[in-house]
Amino acid sequence: MILALRWLWRDWRGGELRLLALAVVVAVAAVTSVSWLAERVGAATEARAADLLAADRAVERPEPIPDGWLRRARSEHGLATARTAEFPSVVVAGERTQLVSVKAVTPGYPLRGELRVSDGLDGAERATTKTPAPGSVWVAPRLLRLLGLSVGDRLALGQGEFRIAGVITLEPDRGSFFNSLAPRVLMPYADLEGTGLIGPGSRVRYKLLVAGTPAAAAAFTDALVAEQGNAVEIETPEGQGRGIGEVVDRARRFLGLGALLTVVVAGVAVLLTVRHYAERQVLAVAVMRAVGARRRRLTTLFVARLFWLALFAGAVGAALGFVVHAGMLSLVADLIDRDIPPPGWRPLVVGWLTAAAALFGFALPTLLRLRDVPPMRVLRREAAAGLLRAGVPVAVAAVVVFALMGWQAGEWRLAAYVIAALAVAVGLLAVAARASIAAVRALVRRRGGRLLWLSGFTRRPWTAVVQIVGVGTGLMALFLLAVVRNDLLDAWRDRIPDDAANQFLINIQADERVGVRERLAQAGIDAAFAPMVRGRLVALNGDPVAEAEDVPADDDVGRRRGRREFNLTWSAEPQQGNEVVAGEWWGAAGDPGELSVETGFAERYGIALGDRLTFDIAGRRVSARVTSLREVDWESFRVNFFVVASPGTLDGLPATWLTSFHLPDTREGVIVDIIRDYPSVTAIDVTSILRTVRSIMDQGSSVVELMSLLTLAAGVLVLLAALQITGEQRRFEGALLRALGASGRRVRRLARYEFWLLGGVAGLIAGGVATGAGVFVAEGLFGLEYPFRPLTLVVGAAVGVITVWAAGGLAARRYQRSSPMRLLREGAD
Amino acid sequence: MTANPDGCVLVAEGLGMRFRSPEGTITLFSDVNLNIRHGEAVAVLGASGSGKSTLLGLLAGLDQPSEGRVLLDGHDLSRLGEDDRAAVRAGRVGFVFQAFHLLPGMTALENVMLPGELAGSGGVRGRAADALERVGLTGRASHYPAQLSGGEQQRVALARAFVDDPRVLFADEPTGNLDRHTGEHIIDAMFALNRDNGTTLVLVTHDPALAGRCGRIIHVEETGLREEVAA
Ligand SMILES: Nc1ncnc2c1ncn2[C@@H]1O[C@H](COP(=O)(O)OP(=O)(O)O)[C@@H](O)[C@H]1O
Ligand SMILES: [Mg+2]
Repeated sequence: MILALRWLWRDWRGGELRLLALAVVVAVAAVTSVSWLAERVGAATEARAADLLAADRAVERPEPIPDGWLRRARSEHGLATARTAEFPSVVVAGERTQLVSVKAVTPGYPLRGELRVSDGLDGAERATTKTPAPGSVWVAPRLLRLLGLSVGDRLALGQGEFRIAGVITLEPDRGSFFNSLAPRVLMPYADLEGTGLIGPGSRVRYKLLVAGTPAAAAAFTDALVAEQGNAVEIETPEGQGRGIGEVVDRARRFLGLGALLTVVVAGVAVLLTVRHYAERQVLAVAVMRAVGARRRRLTTLFVARLFWLALFAGAVGAALGFVVHAGMLSLVADLIDRDIPPPGWRPLVVGWLTAAAALFGFALPTLLRLRDVPPMRVLRREAAAGLLRAGVPVAVAAVVVFALMGWQAGEWRLAAYVIAALAVAVGLLAVAARASIAAVRALVRRRGGRLLWLSGFTRRPWTAVVQIVGVGTGLMALFLLAVVRNDLLDAWRDRIPDDAANQFLINIQADERVGVRERLAQAGIDAAFAPMVRGRLVALNGDPVAEAEDVPADDDVGRRRGRREFNLTWSAEPQQGNEVVAGEWWGAAGDPGELSVETGFAERYGIALGDRLTFDIAGRRVSARVTSLREVDWESFRVNFFVVASPGTLDGLPATWLTSFHLPDTREGVIVDIIRDYPSVTAIDVTSILRTVRSIMDQGSSVVELMSLLTLAAGVLVLLAALQITGEQRRFEGALLRALGASGRRVRRLARYEFWLLGGVAGLIAGGVATGAGVFVAEGLFGLEYPFRPLTLVVGAAVGVITVWAAGGLAARRYQRSSPMRLLREGAD
Repeated sequence: MTANPDGCVLVAEGLGMRFRSPEGTITLFSDVNLNIRHGEAVAVLGASGSGKSTLLGLLAGLDQPSEGRVLLDGHDLSRLGEDDRAAVRAGRVGFVFQAFHLLPGMTALENVMLPGELAGSGGVRGRAADALERVGLTGRASHYPAQLSGGEQQRVALARAFVDDPRVLFADEPTGNLDRHTGEHIIDAMFALNRDNGTTLVLVTHDPALAGRCGRIIHVEETGLREEVAA
């Protein structure tokens, strides 16, 4: 083992293993960075399930929790209790408004988990058992940044004025991971009334949190369900963990597969470098065998050397991965409103496993062939010819790749899909590379000696293909993420007409309708209002819809139908952009008792034309028959409903109104005015939400871009490995050219042209394949018109040229320097 | 183990070598019989391609003959597998090659240490340093082969060959890549070894000067081996 270590050091010193080690380092960095990122983000979001609920159980209902329930929970079941009310609203600070998610809490909240606050954006956080004092709120850091506020400033929430008294750094029941669209405002429950934010029909989720022993909590909620039935919804810690876990898990798998792409590309570099290394080791092995080394001894030496290399390269790669993960984390940190736990050691192990897999999977099979070097090689060069065939090593590498994919993806089918997609992309690259080389070759043949510089390209066609594919894979990953993603978003944005609605006002009470309309009219906005009632689907054709708790967890349709509240509206006319595709729309008079259902909705919930739906709306049962099915253009940004009733069907039920319109930038003040006068109205600014969505996507994809930079690095290593293999040949050619009278400058220029061509072709093809993928995704999956941009190809080629030129030029320098004399001296071995 | 006929360190009996080739079977030589006594210096001469290197390889146990057998220091190599032959070679034989065959990634000293390190024996560094001193290269111990001249490289190779004091030193055209003057040095060093340690020398060479200093001269010819009777 020690001897192997010493020899490893000699190899390293001699520069033999640097590329190999670098390739392993890049592969390990890719895997460990993702591993650390996933582990820490995962741990941050998967905090104990009970914490996510801030209670052992929660009872939710659309009306305030009666005091009697609290008393019962406390006295009959010995539970601790707290009340919360959560709803979207808009805060006003000066002339600026921001959609927020308000949560009003009673003292005692949270019953489980930890609430942490700090005194300012940069302040130290501390755990607290208090809740905001009357007249004050605690807010998410993002709200301060969005509105340019700091702790101590005041903001208006409805009719109430509040002092910002703290910054929330950790909220246990934050809700979903991507719930960052509307920043949190935490306020005292007792101040709720004074804000006037809550009117009939407001979308408020009232919750009663209970905690004690799990059995007592369950007994209480079971009793409540027995009594209240569908009118309450019970949340359990198990139910909370599931959704978030899935998001994180999916992201982890996606990034993990991205990391594996890097591993695969780096693996190709390993295959190439180790082959070169092995070729150079053949003679050494022959000498060692001649002086009496047994085969086992040599095998052990090689295996041990790889072991040490894996250990060192794994450690260095993990260190690099740590740095990369820190970079990724800082990119997404403000999406995670939670404490990020300290890094663990497990990714280190993963890194070492990756290093071992790369070296033993990609390198060992080739090195093991060295066992069979005949000692006669020391006397006869030909004795070891054809020893290092690539067949077995490549087969072993393929198996290793598949195993790694399966491990990262967590399932074999996904692994197979990814490998197939990878194979198609790489295959496309290879075919295109081969074709362009054939074209160049034809050109050379036609134009003869003047294109001398192209000859290297055509003389080593397969090496060139490998180089193009290696660099091209890295560039392709980069372009897909950096360019095509943007194009896709642009294409989507272009589809939205300029005058599409960008503002929604919801929660308008019936008696506020006239006033709001007037305000809008004064600002030159003519807006249509639609009524809205909320109801729960309780029966389909008279059959009761299953209770949520009775539905098996994997029966998605059943779950949704049982749990969800829907928004219903009524209307005499079909809304703009709606098309009746089955049945018939009711006449102008419109008999009560008819429903029109959106097709997608009907499909999901198993509703057919003629079905009788029964809704529970504010405790009243309303039944109606489905007389038409509609298709809706959801991208119109108009107000649309899944279920529309004929006029009269929903009479006498509590309804609020909503409207949407296009608000020119210059009129934003009108929103502030409306919210001041009608505090319970909630304004939703679609433009700013879209901006937020985009910035979240940007953050997410810059993480992936970092990853694709690693892929590109691996691609460059493939290039260098291929250069190394052809190095001897280049050296020979360079010396030959100079012996024939070419100046050193000329030789270097020829090499430079070759690199330009190589990089240009790789970049061009990568740009082409990435664009093709963009077109496929845009037109095939989203029905968008993808803007073909020749610039992508030009930029792609340019990036390819620069990358290859820089990397290859540096590496190839020493091959060109060789003097013609060497040619004569090194004739022999 | 068979006892060698009195004092013979190397014995070939009925040795033959054939290869299959596209044009049929080629017989390089057959029925070669040879006894080399301990401490002898034997020169092997012959035209290029006549089979000198092949013969050398068989005598050193690097390859298996098509027929016949070789006894090296009493071990019947034809009965042994690759690894067992390697064990016989270990510490018993040394090699010097036309192209030196130093390992480029190792310094001169490390190259000389190689056999000892592989054998796992102790005191390797000291013995290697001694060997380098004997070939007059102490000052070059930490140089890489690429930094040494051809003659210096061959002296390092020589030091590597005798560092473990082998019974037999096999050399395949050891001066073939060297100028005359440098070659003389190598030859002197080898014969000093032969004289001082009683090392048996088996030298393949084109160099009449080298051949002339050997006690026996054997010609490899198409008809077979022909031994020149020493003058
Ligand atoms: N294993 C082998 N297979 C095929 N031909 C061989 C083999 N070994 C040697 N030869 C051939 O035998 C001939 C003699 O080779 P060699 O012993 O190297 O000659 P010398 O060293 O005298 O120049 C050459 O033509 C060589 O190609
Ligand atoms: Mg020869």
